[in-house]
Amino acid sequence: MEGPSSRLPATTQDGPLWLAGRTDSGRDAESDPARDIKTQFRVCRFIMETGVKLGMRSVPVATACVLYHRFFERVNMRAYEPYLVAMSCVYLAGKVEEQHVRTRDIINVSHRYFNSSSAPLECDKEFWDLRDSVVQCELLILRQLNFHVSFEHPHKYLLHYLLSVKSLVNRHAWSRTPVAETSWALLRDCYHGVMCIRHIPQHIAIATLYLALNSYGVEMPVGEREWWQVLCEDVTKADIEAVISDLLQLYDMEAKCI
Amino acid sequence: MDRELLRHCLAYHGESLFNKLKCEQTENPDFQAVVSDLCKATYESGGEGHGNPLVEQFIARKADILFCPTWKTATHQEEEHEEEEDAAEPYAIMPPLELFMEVSYDERRAMLYRDLERGDIVVGRINNIREYGFFLTLLCTAGGLKRDIEDLELSALCHIREIPSTGSHDDPLSYYQIGDFIRAAVKDIDRYQEKITISLQQASLSPSLEHIKLGVLPREELPIHYGRSVRAAADSSETYRCILKSCHGYHNPSVVEYLLEKVGVSDTHPPSMMRGLQSKLFQAEDFASAIRKKQSSSWALKCVRAGVDHFKHGRYVEAMNEYNKALDIDTNNVEALVARGALYANKGSIMKAITDFELALESCPDHRNAKKYLCQTLVERGKQLEEQEKLVTAEGLYRRALSLDDLNPEAQEALHKITDTIQKSIRLREEALAKEQVKATSSQTSAEKLRKILKEEKRMKKKRKRSASSSPSSSTSSRRNSSSSSSSSSSRRRSKKKKKKRRRSERGSKRHRRISSRESRRSEGKSEKDRKEEEEEEEEEVEWYPAPPNTTGTFLNQKGGPGFGERDEEEEEVEEKNSEEKRITQLYSLSAASDDEESDSSRRERKRRDRAEGGTKRSKGSQSRSPERRSKSRERKDKSRERGKGDNRKDRRDSDSKRRSSLEENRKRRVSCSSAESEYSRKSSLKSEYLGNSGSASKHVESRMRHDSSKRNSFDGGRYENIEEAGREKDRKGKVEEERRRSDGGNSKRLEGVGNHNKQSGLTSMPGERAKKDLPTNLLDIFNQIAQFEKEKGVRPK
Repeated sequence: MEGPSSRLPATTQDGPLWLAGRTDSGRDAESDPARDIKTQFRVCRFIMETGVKLGMRSVPVATACVLYHRFFERVNMRAYEPYLVAMSCVYLAGKVEEQHVRTRDIINVSHRYFNSSSAPLECDKEFWDLRDSVVQCELLILRQLNFHVSFEHPHKYLLHYLLSVKSLVNRHAWSRTPVAETSWALLRDCYHGVMCIRHIPQHIAIATLYLALNSYGVEMPVGEREWWQVLCEDVTKADIEAVISDLLQLYDMEAKCI
Repeated sequence: MDRELLRHCLAYHGESLFNKLKCEQTENPDFQAVVSDLCKATYESGGEGHGNPLVEQFIARKADILFCPTWKTATHQEEEHEEEEDAAEPYAIMPPLELFMEVSYDERRAMLYRDLERGDIVVGRINNIREYGFFLTLLCTAGGLKRDIEDLELSALCHIREIPSTGSHDDPLSYYQIGDFIRAAVKDIDRYQEKITISLQQASLSPSLEHIKLGVLPREELPIHYGRSVRAAADSSETYRCILKSCHGYHNPSVVEYLLEKVGVSDTHPPSMMRGLQSKLFQAEDFASAIRKKQSSSWALKCVRAGVDHFKHGRYVEAMNEYNKALDIDTNNVEALVARGALYANKGSIMKAITDFELALESCPDHRNAKKYLCQTLVERGKQLEEQEKLVTAEGLYRRALSLDDLNPEAQEALHKITDTIQKSIRLREEALAKEQVKATSSQTSAEKLRKILKEEKRMKKKRKRSASSSPSSSTSSRRNSSSSSSSSSSRRRSKKKKKKRRRSERGSKRHRRISSRESRRSEGKSEKDRKEEEEEEEEEVEWYPAPPNTTGTFLNQKGGPGFGERDEEEEEVEEKNSEEKRITQLYSLSAASDDEESDSSRRERKRRDRAEGGTKRSKGSQSRSPERRSKSRERKDKSRERGKGDNRKDRRDSDSKRRSSLEENRKRRVSCSSAESEYSRKSSLKSEYLGNSGSASKHVESRMRHDSSKRNSFDGGRYENIEEAGREKDRKGKVEEERRRSDGGNSKRLEGVGNHNKQSGLTSMPGERAKKDLPTNLLDIFNQIAQFEKEKGVRPK
């Protein structure tokens, strides 16, 4: 574990200047956890944006975020260049979720992310160095995570829940109300923070659906049990509230971070 | 903002949300526009405030996104096909949620009556059958709506009207039994009296469900969610989660994509509530593919530059490598293609160079260098071709070069030169060709003619032998052949030629020929004589047309005649329409109809016999002749149809020319032997061609013509002759009508006789003719004239 961790920052340092320069601000700061959270948020935003520009689906992007969060769960935020890790996470997630993304595209998109409206990279040493770092970092992540790189995501659950809930609601009311879009957006947004690995996938799915239904004031029939109790027996109202409050914090964070 | 949605939300959340909204959305003009309206709604409903202020805060802040009309991306794609994909369940089909929620009986019932609509599908079991319909106990819903309704004791009536009857005489209800599972469409719901009527008519389904078949349902085909809910209801340990995980569909690796599409959310432009991730903020040039493209072309250019450098220093191999690398990086890179093309051209690979330049111009049509080089290379290539004597291709290349650069002096010069050469050579060739053709036609025709005659003779002999030994019916066919052969041997060139063609080609082409000849004849000026002749001709033609059903003669089987004629026509039509697969069945039907045919022919025979010339021989075997003949002719037809497609055109063409040459002769002959009888003999070959292979069909030209023209048009692909012909046919049809009318007026007998006769003439005809053949030609002519005369007078010799 020593090898890569000592070597990798070095490669990033002398490799892509734009990447190194970017992180300086975060690097020299004091060990403020709030700052870490903000950095995390920014990096996750970076992953999200990159994912969209690379045409990645939601699940690979979610995997990339989870990889990222899990990685920095284990290592010190300051030991590695978070954006490089993020790029590698995107690359690795593409492999894990069977939607291969090419390093070249990742590097291009990232480069443009940091240097907006700049010309694409030349095919020179800088590029190849960067490419090497991404691949190296991917190996590092794999080792750090002990090759546990496939995760269960709430996406599947959410979609099935959506269909079940839809059947309960009058079809016209449903078609008027963008519950599906909202809950999907909420679910994607969850991945901006560590909450995506703190909560059980089912709970996240239920909470996002709950929030979406709640936002539009969609009323569900009530029986002996609530609809969300049925979907997952062990979920409590408190669980849902916890997820929702975490999620809402992320939205607050956006205003602060970006 | 979606006002309706917002109002609903406010009614749910109450005043506190409204206040927050007013706070948060002050700058949103959309909100300001609807605020007063919402104000009322909020206070009216007096929503009880569902608590969580954080959620309300969130809603208030994101209201512009949440209630934006464009936020909803899902189009209202009605309850898709789903269901019935059982085996390959693409996602987990779950039992209705209310089953697990244990929603009360009343509420569920109310919900069902609220949400069930016309066109929905329900599944139930028949519990009662009455004379006016049957009653169904509803078990579950199918299609889009999934509800747990089994224990709701819902009964639905399916009225007898709504049951599609399978047989007209049967009681549709007899197909249904108590206990049957039925899938039916909801026809009507009376929400107040809580009555449901259902229908088994496919038409009563909503359009999105149309593909689902209504009616009796085997137990195995009951909806999946129903089966699962039965299991879940029976076993309380079967929770939603358990069932979900046990479903195949849940483990489908692409279940997310599938369901996203189903719920209508885009995953390439995913929604987000984050301000910074709104898809409108993403710019096209930031996407990976756009950057890659740009990058590739710049990398490729770099390589090209290096390659050009190599090229300038004469290092062609290195240059080529660089160019190829550039094209590897960026296929269709214009610069690389042009540079490589230039290199190819320099090294003499002109074709490769042209390909490269063309590719370059394809993606960049205004590339100056590419144009220039391509122009030069084309001229170069043209010169090469010129050396190889491929003048036309070379000329094309020069022209292309000029089209790229019309001032290129080299190309201009080359083009001038080559056009001269080409014209010269064309002239030479034409002359040579003409000579050759003359030679070829003369030699070919005579040789072939001889061959034909010999063959015909041989066949005739064979047939005769066979017919002698076999039934009289086969003798017909032999007679047919013999007659035709005899006619061929009667020193008539034209008929011989035609006959040979007839054997090979299908009737369509024959008619073409016939027509074209007619046309040419016509075009040769219209002297009095000619016109008469023409009229005659027309009459002749008309004579072959179907005898109108109501033209009854004084024939023996007079009663049957018209009816049969009609029927025949129908048969013919059927025959025409049906393709060859159906041949066999037709054969049956036709042979069944052979009795009619027989009587027809016998009548014809009788008439014939009454005529002046030796009909006695002919009447023999006429009784049994027709069926055999029919089938034979059909066989022939089929064969010739197959063959004819290919030969058809060619045949027609050369026959046209020959026809024209023999035209003179024809005309003379026609004048001299204008009597109907002799016409037959002559026409026996001609007409049979004209009418197609089946002599029997001549009666039905009209029906056939229609088919023919369409058919031929289809395979001849819009040759102008066809069009012409179609018009002509129409003309002719009109004439037929006219003729028919006339014949109704008195000449009907004759006409029918003629028609009948002709019907046979092509194939069975002229045993008598053989006899006639023995007579000298002028005698024959005289006979014919007499007959014609008689006909004209409408007097029939008894």
